[in-house]
Amino acid sequence: MTYAGLPVVIVSRCSGPKVVEVKMSSKTLLNCETSSLRHPNNRLSAHLEQLPFNYRATVLLPDCGCAPSQLDETLRSFQSFYLVRNLPLYELLDEHLGRGSVCGLSYKTRIDEDNCAFLKANGHLCLSLDKDSYELLGIEGKACKPKSSRYVVSVDLNDRSMAPGRPRYQRLFSGLTSRLPLKMEFLLAPASGDPDALQPLLSRYEWSRHTPEVSCRLLTHLSRPDPLTCDLRSYDPFDLLEWLGAVQADISCDNAADSFLSSLACPHPSAQSSQSSFLLEVRGLLLPQNIMTLVKQLSHFLERPLSPPWAAVTVHGFMDNLHVHERHFYTLVLFPDHAYSLHLATPAS
Amino acid sequence: MDEAVVETHIPCDLVKVLGVEPQIRSKAVAFTQAFLKKNTEPRPQLDEKSLLSHKAVILEYTRPKKKRINKQQAKGLNAQQKREIKIFHIKSEHQRYELFLPLHNLWKQYIIDLCSGLKPTSSPQSVQQKLLKADFHGAIITVVRSKCPSYVGITGILIQEFKHVFKIITKQDTLKVIPKRNSVFQVEINGFISYIYGNKFEQRASERSAKKFKISGTIDL
Repeated sequence: MTYAGLPVVIVSRCSGPKVVEVKMSSKTLLNCETSSLRHPNNRLSAHLEQLPFNYRATVLLPDCGCAPSQLDETLRSFQSFYLVRNLPLYELLDEHLGRGSVCGLSYKTRIDEDNCAFLKANGHLCLSLDKDSYELLGIEGKACKPKSSRYVVSVDLNDRSMAPGRPRYQRLFSGLTSRLPLKMEFLLAPASGDPDALQPLLSRYEWSRHTPEVSCRLLTHLSRPDPLTCDLRSYDPFDLLEWLGAVQADISCDNAADSFLSSLACPHPSAQSSQSSFLLEVRGLLLPQNIMTLVKQLSHFLERPLSPPWAAVTVHGFMDNLHVHERHFYTLVLFPDHAYSLHLATPAS
Repeated sequence: MDEAVVETHIPCDLVKVLGVEPQIRSKAVAFTQAFLKKNTEPRPQLDEKSLLSHKAVILEYTRPKKKRINKQQAKGLNAQQKREIKIFHIKSEHQRYELFLPLHNLWKQYIIDLCSGLKPTSSPQSVQQKLLKADFHGAIITVVRSKCPSYVGITGILIQEFKHVFKIITKQDTLKVIPKRNSVFQVEINGFISYIYGNKFEQRASERSAKKFKISGTIDL
């Protein structure tokens, strides 16, 4: 089976999620998974957890005259996040934080040059260090394969051996206080939804509170895939993703003869919509549970009569935070029958 | 043997048995002398007169004989024998931190004397030059950086320095063996903190005092 002449590998053919992998380049594969939200085996939440910290989510609703009201409430329910300046890393080990109540990542640290750190909601603390810092710290870590000048130290703070008072905890604590006292700007959010979890930490350092910014606009005369002739799922994933990206970036897809800037076009068969389309963008520190709430809300919205034929959600993760650079964004296309198709890039092994 | 036994007459009954003819005495003497003369070598050396003629004999003065010095020094033990008798091995009852504290004090004195009084005003350059040739047995050494993370942070008194390793005794009375390669050590004396890059320090303590250190290569681990 080929998609527009490209080699395709079908990974699983069970009745549940169907996964198709298309080769994008020598090092990345485009992974397209189709399934239903109601299916018990669906791995959507696992995929969402792959990107624990996201800075942007865009929602495109074609043929939708006005903004859905419930979406507003959902967006307002997203937790606010805090930017803390000069936070020493050993504070993240603090037992008062109650592992699992806070998550966050270092801000304005470049993954290829500086030392970066992030703390996931499940208690995993991950440090990405350059060679000198790793040699000073003294905790076992792994070298990143492409170059041995970057080391990753990964610690599970919920593990029994990392309980305060144990030798491993003492070593990490003394390493972060005396041998390598790192201080970074951190973006923190309460993972369990309880805003008071951060209070003891915030009282000691300079902080500022932020809420996710929402911006929306209506696109008129958008040419999009014709819903009457064929289903969105039958389109080539590459073309579809290209078109979605062009719409979100506000690039005209007319493919006019006198335009030299872009030759991007809507995949055929396409038609111009009579109604306006709704484009919503959320910027902030978005956690996987926020994305899941948004997806469920949209899926309910699509069930109603006179709703658009599909909705596309693109989520971008913080780039300076991950070691897998291919996988820093994904696109989720939702359909009325609680079905979805997820497109993400994975490294080719 | 008595000569008289040779000159006796043979008894008559033996004459018939042996089949010999007894001779009279004078004939027997002459025969014996002629026989001996014919069959023995002349020995002129034992002639007393020839011995003493044409010879100079030193009567009283003699040179004292030189005793030959044994040029081969004691071979010493080879490495296998040393390992067998374990001369560098420190027994567990001797592995206590308190026992080595006097050694540390001695080392401090030695370094202060070597650098002619470590005042806060003395230049680090001169101190560094002296330290390069100094012996470090008894210094308190800390591993500051290492390619292997588990070595970082180990502190203790240096009790043995070999070509490639340091043997350190920590406050918890454990003997640690730390390879010099790919590690940076810190030595502190009177407020002067020196960093030793182990990669460039891989010589025996005795050989290092004669070695000239060149500034070459990187000090990156």
